[in-house]
Amino acid sequence: MTTLTPKSSETFLKNKSEFIFLIGSIFTSFGILLVTVGGSWDITNHLLSKPESFFSPPHALMYSGVAISLTGVVLSFVGWKNLQKFKDSYFLSLKIQLIGIGLLTGAGPLDFIWHSYFGLDGLLSPPHFTLITGMFLCSVGGMIGISRYLKFNNSQSIAKYLLILAVIPVWLSASGIISSLSLPFSSTDFFEFNPEPTIAFIIASLAYPFLISLSLTLIFRLSNYQFGILSILGGLFLLIYSSTAIIPNFAMFDTIQFYSLNLIPFVIADIFLKINRSKFSLFFAGGLVGSIFYMVYYPYVMYTYNEILLGKLVSPSLIYFVYFELIQTVLVYTLIPAIIMGFLGVLFSAKLSKKILMN
Amino acid sequence: MNKFLIYLSGFVILSLYFILTIFILPSEFLMTEQLIPKPSFQAVLSDSEIILNDSFRLDITSVNNGDYADIHIVSVAFPELIEIDDVVKIATYDFTLSPSYISVGEEIGSKYSGGVETTISQYPSIEAMSRPLKSDVETHFDIVVTPKKSGIFNIYVKSIGIPHTSDVSHYPYSGILDHQNEHVLVYSVTVNP
Repeated sequence: MTTLTPKSSETFLKNKSEFIFLIGSIFTSFGILLVTVGGSWDITNHLLSKPESFFSPPHALMYSGVAISLTGVVLSFVGWKNLQKFKDSYFLSLKIQLIGIGLLTGAGPLDFIWHSYFGLDGLLSPPHFTLITGMFLCSVGGMIGISRYLKFNNSQSIAKYLLILAVIPVWLSASGIISSLSLPFSSTDFFEFNPEPTIAFIIASLAYPFLISLSLTLIFRLSNYQFGILSILGGLFLLIYSSTAIIPNFAMFDTIQFYSLNLIPFVIADIFLKINRSKFSLFFAGGLVGSIFYMVYYPYVMYTYNEILLGKLVSPSLIYFVYFELIQTVLVYTLIPAIIMGFLGVLFSAKLSKKILMN
Repeated sequence: MNKFLIYLSGFVILSLYFILTIFILPSEFLMTEQLIPKPSFQAVLSDSEIILNDSFRLDITSVNNGDYADIHIVSVAFPELIEIDDVVKIATYDFTLSPSYISVGEEIGSKYSGGVETTISQYPSIEAMSRPLKSDVETHFDIVVTPKKSGIFNIYVKSIGIPHTSDVSHYPYSGILDHQNEHVLVYSVTVNP
């Protein structure tokens, strides 16, 4: 019969609690992933004016996601409470998750009150912005928790693919924030929350490229330069976006071939970084993936640029006509700023990864 | 040498990607035919002459004879009225969206632009909308009207399909223009004192 010494029982408790914290963070991130996928699908259904009830599939996905995230934050808290002297290492993750879930769950009643007074709201409204901010914070908290666990436990290559689950909800929810601040989907009978077209143009042109570059180079650094992870993350983003924003609109179905080509720059960036991990290669990768933001955010990004460059009425079956009519003009205006923002994404990912991994 | 070949292949593939996504595929997609909805309607008046305080009925059956329409609109306007009040009541309605009541002085779309060009409404109207409407699907919009003044009571009726990609994407194709600079058919009833 073996007996546990105080030291080994402490280690056992620490390992167990840390693992519970990891499971909590995974739940939080996975829940937010479901909420973002459901949200994107819901926007498409609204644009297509598909009959909607509370029990629609996108809503089911979103509410399940919130429930899973809530469970995740509770698990993270339970795990963290028993971490003893390791508490500090995971406190940042827990703190951000707690603030996020507070905003996320608080947005529900706020949305109900808002609907009661002002009817249906657009993409940007106080309850929706609270919701998206909550989603973003939860996903950031989950990402920090997962990344730190993997680092502290010297996880093997295969476990590093968990980082995809950690980063994709951050990318998607941050995209939601940028979209709500730049898309003209927020005009209602009571409020005109549509962003001013020129400001929307600037936000979209700078923030999307920065975010793509940041997300991809961040996962590359967090995974300790794991080959393939950048392509998988990029591919997963394309898969989610195409299945929620393109496939549900039958008029755009043929454009899937165009959209799937966007995997090429992700794979090339990945291969170049495998061959050469120098600063130059990282900047090249960041600039490259930043420069393709108009293609990656097909089709809805077009609405922002249409406001200022064409001013056409865009009904669902005309989306891709207007998108392709604008593509060359948009790139003339945005290519250089997008590449520069891609570079900035690389620089910021270096600082952020150090902060996350406590280097 | 190996690295050089990989870089070279990468740049060639990237060049192909940019050429395809910026030049070739967009022009291919822009050459595809756009959907052309072809709305039309039949409207039947119950009476051509009534006595003041009596009611008459206008039954409108509209259909999309063309391609899938993102939006199918039937609009009825009342140039003799200042407000709809209880003069007009909807009797039958099977469009997918709730009817929209437009008052005098509201900013409304004009010239079939779907709101890109606007004007100010000079008389009240009701818009019935289905989003979307497939080909050959019929929709119904019947109203009961009880005029409060004697004289000629006119009703303007028109239908518009969106995307408005052709001159057949609205009905009627010609004739009287309304305050939105769009063609209408006029249905008149004489109201005797």
